[in-house]
Amino acid sequence: MKVVGITTQQEVYIGSKDRNFRINEFLIITDSYQGDLMGEVVEAEAYNKYIPLSMHGELADSSVIESLKAIGYNVEEDTIYIAKVRLLNEALYPVEAGSDVRIPEFDEVKDLMIRSSVDEGLVLGVIKSTDQMAKGMDEEYKDLLYTFEDGQLKSQNEIPYIYNIKSMHQYPHVGVFGGSGSGKSFGLRVVLEELMNLNIPTIVLDPHFEMDFSEIEDYMPKDKAVIYDDKFKCLQVGFHVGVKFQDLSTQDIKNLLDASSPLTDAMNNVVDILFKRNDSYNSFHNRLKMLVEAQEEGSLDRISRRIEESNSNLEREGWQKRKELYLNYDKICPYSSVRGILWRLNRLNNEGIFSKDIKEIEEGLHMGKLIVIQGSTRILQVFSTYLVNNLYHKRREYKDALYKKVTADYFPPFIVVTDEAHNFAPKGYDCPSKSILKEISQEGRKYGVFLILATQRPTLLDETITAQLNTKFIFRTVRGSDIQTIKEETDITEEEARRLPYLKTGDVFVSESAMGRTIFARIRAANTTSPHTENPFDELKNKTEEDDNKFLEIIKDKLPINGDDFINVIKEIESETGLTYPLDLFEEKLNDLVDKGMIEKQKTPFFNVYR
Amino acid sequence: MYSIDDGLKENIKHINKILMNKYKDVLSLDREFSKKYIQENVGPIVKLNKFTMDELFNFTKSGGILGIDGSKNRMGGAYPHFIEIYQGLAKSTLYKDKAIYKTDFYTPLYLENEGVNLLENTVEKEEQIRSKKLSSIEVEAALEGIREFNPYAVMMDGSLIRYDIECFDKWMELRRECEERGIILVGVIKDIKTSIIGDLFMNDTSLQIEECFYDRELLYGLLEYGEIIRIQSEVTKKSEEGFASLFMRSSNAPSVIGMDILDSQKDHLEEMARLVFTLTPKDSRGVPLWLDIVDSEVKIPDKMIRGLLESYLDRSILEMFFISERDKRTM
Repeated sequence: MKVVGITTQQEVYIGSKDRNFRINEFLIITDSYQGDLMGEVVEAEAYNKYIPLSMHGELADSSVIESLKAIGYNVEEDTIYIAKVRLLNEALYPVEAGSDVRIPEFDEVKDLMIRSSVDEGLVLGVIKSTDQMAKGMDEEYKDLLYTFEDGQLKSQNEIPYIYNIKSMHQYPHVGVFGGSGSGKSFGLRVVLEELMNLNIPTIVLDPHFEMDFSEIEDYMPKDKAVIYDDKFKCLQVGFHVGVKFQDLSTQDIKNLLDASSPLTDAMNNVVDILFKRNDSYNSFHNRLKMLVEAQEEGSLDRISRRIEESNSNLEREGWQKRKELYLNYDKICPYSSVRGILWRLNRLNNEGIFSKDIKEIEEGLHMGKLIVIQGSTRILQVFSTYLVNNLYHKRREYKDALYKKVTADYFPPFIVVTDEAHNFAPKGYDCPSKSILKEISQEGRKYGVFLILATQRPTLLDETITAQLNTKFIFRTVRGSDIQTIKEETDITEEEARRLPYLKTGDVFVSESAMGRTIFARIRAANTTSPHTENPFDELKNKTEEDDNKFLEIIKDKLPINGDDFINVIKEIESETGLTYPLDLFEEKLNDLVDKGMIEKQKTPFFNVYR
Repeated sequence: MYSIDDGLKENIKHINKILMNKYKDVLSLDREFSKKYIQENVGPIVKLNKFTMDELFNFTKSGGILGIDGSKNRMGGAYPHFIEIYQGLAKSTLYKDKAIYKTDFYTPLYLENEGVNLLENTVEKEEQIRSKKLSSIEVEAALEGIREFNPYAVMMDGSLIRYDIECFDKWMELRRECEERGIILVGVIKDIKTSIIGDLFMNDTSLQIEECFYDRELLYGLLEYGEIIRIQSEVTKKSEEGFASLFMRSSNAPSVIGMDILDSQKDHLEEMARLVFTLTPKDSRGVPLWLDIVDSEVKIPDKMIRGLLESYLDRSILEMFFISERDKRTM
C-alpha cells in the first residue's frame, strides 16, 4: 500500500495491488518527513485495466478470461485497489507521495475508538471495519456482545463501540434518527438495555407499546441471556399512573387541557378564573358544570324562578349556588368557553388520567429503574407534559437548594427517552410538551436531566432542540429533506451523507461532539425483543391452522359424517362442547378441510360422506 | 459551429463516388461464389473449435505462451529534430512479474552507430533504420524471453515476415533457436496488408476484374465466426521466404486477422489458430486478449516520455532540438 497521485494536507489516495480497501477503515501513513499520519478511508475503488468498462460493446467475456487463466495468466490479479483517505488531523504539509501505508495496531487507535471503560459506558455495538486492529485488543474489550447479521448471531470480532455516558455532562442529549425499518427502534432498545445495566433512572415515553424488556430474544444463548425484569416497569397512563389533581397548578391544568388542541384566550381566561388552588377534580368539575347549567338557563330571572320552584332544600341550595356563580362569572366567562373546558376536562377524566398519581414513577426513579410510560400518542402528550415538568422541577429544586445551601428532598438525575419525538416537540407550532422538552434541552445539563429523542423525521423536530442534541445516531434515511437536515445538524461528510439511503439495517453513523468526527458502527444484537415482532402474515397462517385443528378435533370422533345427517351431528357437538354451528357454515368448514386434505369426501348417489 | 468549405465537401463526395465505382464489381460478387472460389483456388475454409480448459492446461504444463510486442513514441518536430523511443516487451503467461523489456532510440542527430552519413541520408534509408530498430528490439526481447522462460510458443504482434525483411540477422538467430528447441513461433497480424486473393481475382480472366484488391477488403464479412482459410503454399509469396499462413475471423467483428508460422512448424499452425481463437473475446476487434495485454504493457504514454526527456535532458538541449513549434502552441 502506497500513497499515490496528487496529495493534499487533508486527503490522499492510496493504491494497492493486493489488498482491497473498506470504507471507514483506519490506516496509518508513514510519511518520511512528518511521521505517522492517521487517516480514514472515505471512498474505496477497484479497477482492472484489462477489463475496462467499454461503451463500444467490446468486452472481454468470462470464457476468454478463464482461458487465459488456464494458460497461466490471471487477469483478475491485475486489479488495483484505490482508496481515498481523509486524514484525521490535517497535516502540516501535503503528504509525501510514495509513502508507505500500514494498518494501525490497536494501541494506536485505542484513544480514538474507546472513550469509556466497559463498566461505565453504554456498550452499544461494534465499530465497523476494525477487525484487523481488534486482534491486539485488551481482553476487557473482547466478547462483550454479539451482532446480528444475515439472520444469525455473530460473535464480536471488531472493536466495541462504547458510548461514554459521562460525556453527557459536557455534551448533553442524544438524537436517534432513521427511517422505518432502519433499526432505529432497535437501536433505542439497545440503548435502554444498557441504561438498565448501569441503573440509570430513565423515563421512556412509549406510544407504540413496544418497550417491554421481559421477553428474551430466542437467538440469545441461554448462558448469555440478561434478565431485566427487576430493572424496568411498564406503566400505563390512566391505569397504573395518572395525575394527582390536587397537586396541579393553574399552568399544569392549562397544559393538560391544551394538549389535544390549543386553548383559546377565552378558555385560558376561564381556567384562570375558575380554577382555585387545592381544587379537587370534583370541586373544579362541579363549579364548571353549575356555571354551565346556570348559563343555559339564560338569565338571572329564570334562575331565580328555579330557586322559587325548587321542591327540596337541596335543590334550592344548588340553584342558589348556581346563581352566585352566575353573578360572579357570567360576564367574564363566555358560555361557549366554559363548555369547551368542561368537555375537555370530562374527556381527560374518562381516560382515567385523574384517577392515579405519579408516585410509582418517582419511586422507580429513586431506585434507578427504567420506567416505561405507555399510552396513545395523545394521552402521552398530555401526561408527559405534566410528568416531565413535575420531575424536572423536583430535580431542579433539589439542585438549587443544594446551591443555596438549604435542605431539600433528594431527587436523582434522570434521562427522558422518547420515540416519535417529533410528536412531542414539533417544529413550527407550539404544544405543551415541547416547551418542557425545550427547557430541558437548553438547561437540563446543569441539573443532570438529559434527553434521548428518536424520530424518523428529524426535519419535523423543533430546531432549537435538534441543535442541542450533541450526539446523533443516524440510521438509514431515504428522504432527501431529512438527509439535508442531518447534513446541516451533524458533522457527517458529503460521502457519508450519500451512503445514508443504502445503510444496512442496524448500521449507524454516530456523530458525537465529544469525538469531533463520525464513527461508523453496527448496533449489537438486543438481548430482549419487542412484543410486536411476529409477522402479521405468519400470525394469520398460524391462526387458521389452529382453527382448523380445533374443528378437526371436534368432529374427529363423529366421522364418517353423512351429508344428510348434519343436523344430528351439530346437535351432538352442541351438547358436548357448547359450540353451535349453522348448517351452511358446518358444511363449508367440512369442505374446507377436504380442500386442505385433512379429511376425505366421498360422493354417493344420495349424499356426500365425509370421512 | 464550424463552417466547412464547400470544396472540401465536394471532394469527399467525389472520393465516395470513386471508391463505389472501383469496388462495385467486387461488392457485387456473390458471397457464396467468393467462398467457393477461395475454397478452390486459395485453400480450404475450415471451422475451428475453441480449446477446452484441459487442453489449455497442457500449454501451461509445456511452458506457457510468450507474447511479444513493441511500441514507439516520437517527440519533437520535423526531420531531423525529433527523437524516437522504442520499447520491446516479452511477457510470459506463466511468469507474471518477470517481463523482459528492451529499449532503443533513434534520432537523425546521432547516427554514428547506424553507419551512415547524415548528409547522404535519404528518407527511405531513414525509414528503414527506424523499422529495423523497432523490429530488432522486439526480436531481442523474444530471444531473451525464450532463453529465460522456455515457453511452448512465442506469439508475436505482427507478421513474422516483417522481421525477416527488416532485421534479417537477428531474425535468423531467433528462428534458428526456436527451430532447434522446438518452440513454436507464430505471428498474429491485426491489419492484413496482403493481396493474395486479389491477385488471383485479377489474374483470372473469367472474372473481368482489372484492378488489384486487398484481402482485407475482399474478406470483410465473408467468413463466419471461427472460420479460417488455410492458404495453400502455391498461392502465397510467403512460402518462398519459409512461412505458412492463414486468415481467420476470430470475433464477431466482420474483419479478418492473419497468422503466419515458420514453414518447418506449419503442422502447428492450426493449433495456434485455435489458441488465438480461444483467447479472443467474441465481441472484440478480433485480437487475442493476451496480445492486447502485452500491448498495453509495452505502450508508454506520450506524457511520460515527455516527462522523462524533461527530467533527463538538459533544458537547453531539449528546447534546442526536441520541442517543436507545435508543442508550444496553445490554441
